[in-house]
Amino acid sequence: MLRHRRFVVEALTALGLVAAPYVLPPLGFAPNTVNQIMVWGLFGIGFDILFGYTGMLSFGQAAFYGTGGFVAAYLLTNNLMSNVLLALVVGTLGAMLAGVVVGAIALRRTGIYFAMITVAIAEMFYFIEFSPLAAYTGGENGLPGVPTPKFELLGWSYRVGPDWSMYGFLAVCYFIGIVVALRIVRSPVGAIFSAIRDNPVRARAVGHAVGLYKLTAFVIAAAYAGFAGGLLGVLQGFMPPDAFTFDTSGQLVMQTAIGGAGTLFGPLVGATVWLFLRDFLQGAVGLGATWKLVLGVVFVLLVCFLRRGLIGGVRAALAHFTAPPPHEAPEEAEIDAAPAPLASLGPSRRRRETAFDGPVIEARGVTKTFGGIVANRDINFAVERGELRGIIGPNGAGKSTFFKMLTCELPPTSGRIIFHGRDITGLDVSTVCQLGLTKSYQVNQLFPRLTLRENIVIAALAERRGTFALDLFRRIDRVPGLDIQVDRTLALIGLAARADVPVAELAYGEKRRLEIGLALAASPSLLLLDEPLAGMSPRERAETVELLKNIRRGRTLVVVEHDMDAVFELAERITVLHEGALLAEGTPAEIQRNSLVQEAYLGGVAAA
Amino acid sequence: MITWPNFVSQLFNGLAAGALLALISSGLTIIYGTLGVLNLAHGAMFMLGGYAGYIALQATGSFVAAVIAGALALVVVGGIIELVIIRRFYDRPPEDQLLVTFGLGIVIVELVRFFFGSLSLTVRPPSWAAGVTPMGFLIYPTYRIVVAGIAAAALAVLYVVLYRTRLGMIVRAGIEDSTMVGMLGINVYRVFMVVFGIGAMAAGFAGIVNAPVVSLTPDMGESILVQAFVVVVIGGVGSFPGAILGGLIAGEILSLTSMVNPAYSQVMLFAVMTLVLLLRPQGLLGAQSRD
Amino acid sequence: MTALLEVDRINSYYGDSHILFDVSLTVAKNEVVALLGRNGAGKSTTLKSLMGTVRPRSGHVVLDGVQTQGLPPHAIAALGLQLVPEERRIFGSLNVEENLLLAGLTATSRWPLDRVWEIFPRLKERRRSRGTDLSGGEQQMLAIARALVRDPKIVLLDEPFEGLAPIIVRDLLATCRALAEAGQTILVVEQNISAAMSLADRVYIINNGHMVEELTAQAVRDQPDILHRHLGV
Repeated sequence: MLRHRRFVVEALTALGLVAAPYVLPPLGFAPNTVNQIMVWGLFGIGFDILFGYTGMLSFGQAAFYGTGGFVAAYLLTNNLMSNVLLALVVGTLGAMLAGVVVGAIALRRTGIYFAMITVAIAEMFYFIEFSPLAAYTGGENGLPGVPTPKFELLGWSYRVGPDWSMYGFLAVCYFIGIVVALRIVRSPVGAIFSAIRDNPVRARAVGHAVGLYKLTAFVIAAAYAGFAGGLLGVLQGFMPPDAFTFDTSGQLVMQTAIGGAGTLFGPLVGATVWLFLRDFLQGAVGLGATWKLVLGVVFVLLVCFLRRGLIGGVRAALAHFTAPPPHEAPEEAEIDAAPAPLASLGPSRRRRETAFDGPVIEARGVTKTFGGIVANRDINFAVERGELRGIIGPNGAGKSTFFKMLTCELPPTSGRIIFHGRDITGLDVSTVCQLGLTKSYQVNQLFPRLTLRENIVIAALAERRGTFALDLFRRIDRVPGLDIQVDRTLALIGLAARADVPVAELAYGEKRRLEIGLALAASPSLLLLDEPLAGMSPRERAETVELLKNIRRGRTLVVVEHDMDAVFELAERITVLHEGALLAEGTPAEIQRNSLVQEAYLGGVAAA
Repeated sequence: MITWPNFVSQLFNGLAAGALLALISSGLTIIYGTLGVLNLAHGAMFMLGGYAGYIALQATGSFVAAVIAGALALVVVGGIIELVIIRRFYDRPPEDQLLVTFGLGIVIVELVRFFFGSLSLTVRPPSWAAGVTPMGFLIYPTYRIVVAGIAAAALAVLYVVLYRTRLGMIVRAGIEDSTMVGMLGINVYRVFMVVFGIGAMAAGFAGIVNAPVVSLTPDMGESILVQAFVVVVIGGVGSFPGAILGGLIAGEILSLTSMVNPAYSQVMLFAVMTLVLLLRPQGLLGAQSRD
Repeated sequence: MTALLEVDRINSYYGDSHILFDVSLTVAKNEVVALLGRNGAGKSTTLKSLMGTVRPRSGHVVLDGVQTQGLPPHAIAALGLQLVPEERRIFGSLNVEENLLLAGLTATSRWPLDRVWEIFPRLKERRRSRGTDLSGGEQQMLAIARALVRDPKIVLLDEPFEGLAPIIVRDLLATCRALAEAGQTILVVEQNISAAMSLADRVYIINNGHMVEELTAQAVRDQPDILHRHLGV
């Protein structure tokens, strides 16, 4: 995501596009086939951003392909517009509008349900095209007579013709499409797309408005689809109704998967394979309609064995042959005993310093019931600024439920949560994170396909840019203050040396530290830690305890833990929960002397 | 034209179509409920049942043999697909599962096209069910009544299997908690294979039973898949009663709206599904939602 | 006494979170062994590692002479191990009788229903009630009965007394004692220490994934500060 040499990809693309008319025909590609590949490739760029980068599998992109195409074709064939480029743009805008409307419905669900809603909605578009709006769309006949673009400049005019003339026009469109897509993918928004694909829950928890970003990806895909649809009409000289069919959506999905999702060029490669096989098997070998059977089998095999498609397979092969010799199991980087002077990130520049004098966080009369079960009963709880508070309690005490209410992952049934004097009850996780309250999870919630540094970047982006910003064309390394924020966080968790290692290759202890780092990158004034020592060896425990002692400077920490030794070493005050209610609160010494607490843990052992 | 005979006729059509849809969707819903996999090849399986039955019909001349062949062929195909392919995907993200079942659907359709071509084939209804039946003011094609009856009977059989047999008990428990079923000594993977086979069989059986009503083409299953999914959404995932209720509702929606405007009937169905997804995501009779 | 269950230095993980560190224990025939520890210590993970729902990455588990680590749960169940999970996990859409019938389907020797009713008369009263209609205590009884129907060599109980009213705990405890006296081998994980101590012949204590103590129940009663040190605060 972050590391690439500038403009190499763009240059290579331009080179490839220029070379294609010379390289492809000897291989058996007719000019019209190449043109079709261009249109599918462009259609697929947007889909790849939606599926490959953001992880949303839509089987209904034909809806936008058709909408863009028919809007443009209608304007042109009814002489409402003579400038082809302008008509294409209007068509694209129409597709984007449709994208907003469809997205508002479909994005309320994820995974399988999302996919099937897109299918259903796309089918609706098809039927609408076919029947009610047939007067506008030509019904099953489509709209014939779509003109090709004409360029005029100071008396010189050029009308795009068929075959290679058309190719020139389409290649320029594709090139622009790729350049724009590369900008998007390299922008902060593009990084957040990847984060959403990897772990939408954490993306939300570090402060991003995930729903809005998903809608953005959806509309981008619709835009590309709409423009490509318009180009289809121009290419064929007529706008076909089958642009709207499920087959079209399905073909796009298959081509992208065959070429490789998440590469931007996957759809182009997939379309090349698809159309080549179609021409070759049908024409040359004379197998007739079996080309689709061959493609289907190839597709299934790729999905089973080559999950990143052809481009992914080539990349893996290249990496295998150029890889440095494998090193032994990663040694954990030692945490700096004396952390860098910037150990305290301090409150974010963006957030106004609150002059509030009272407790950092308060729970007032907080109760939570699930059906008939009372998980938390009327808890009153307050933590002062700069404290390190421990929360303990035997099993079933309601600790995790209470913790989730503090972070606003769960709303209380009654009672209020007050943060810096402000009532945050019922707010959502990303808003609360932006206000300065974050959490690290008991089970690591990382972005597994990114590197360690990229993980921190995701969290820092929310800290720098707020919950939502549409900076699609800004380069990610131009976000002001981002690098400093990331470097400081890395220094704080002592992992600067391992920054470029992919998360999958980190040792468990390092992942745990990254987990805490993600919460720190948001510059919280209050950090909640859910069992930070879970699953750790004795050595890792000791190191993490040291880390917590470091990061508490300038912050308030609340820690839920079962490791009694650690809690008693770290915490100044301890809150004990039992059977859903507050049992006791005090210094570690007071808690140890408290017979009620001992009773709760030891369950009347004296009687045994 | 909305006339009384027309209306009643469409009402019956809706029942017949609904019963068939309910059968197909039951298969889809128990697969999704037990395995957690949405079988995008379900429409193709419906079509395959039709063609398998056609082969048997050509060979034996017996419609009964055709129906049995359609059902059996899909049990076998379904079992093999689960064993060889689906089983590898339980640990993979749901998008991968969608992609592979989608691809399998395409392969099945194209295989049939390879052997039979794209032209439609007719399957004649059995002689004892051919012709029309006068019903008061209405004259109704006999075979459609038979279809409704067969579909209802098949649903009843499925009901008995699910609620009155040991296998059904295992399947219902597996829909709820397949890990616990394993802990009680039952090989869950074998259960999955059986469930996938039964689900496929329901689709294939419906395919051959419906064949005399429409003509056989390799693409006839495409619309079935989306409709079946709509039924599963309306009725609730993993719920057999939900599939029946959803199927009947969907059948009637399709039938009755086609009286007003045939083009709108599909749209109406999708609109209802979207509404259910937004307002009551677990469906009318569903328990948990997997999303 | 011969060991019915031998666990030798197993290491179990959730993902790459290391939960059990070289955990070993033994259970002899007819014994009741209690595994005590704070929550998060690894008690549940130990039982799951024995049942096969968590696969130990190293170490051995030997049940009545047969190595079981790495086997799928249904194979381990066939060898005579049963786990009553912490969440009970009874089948809500099935009634009491169906839950019991399902359990017995693949058992080589199974309890007749009458024997179940004898031990849990309350379940007989509710035999046609669906799982979702049962109270917490009844669900726990059903979960235990379901495991017993398979006539297991060892029953693993994961926090059977959690979340139940004291009077129900008392009854359930009496039932468990009767089962133990009748010869059922039991490995029970509990946070309710008095309940566990009233059942157990031997006690293991686990702390942060490490086995730290192995004592007879009497030894524990003689030195209560051991419990205080590992389980208290």
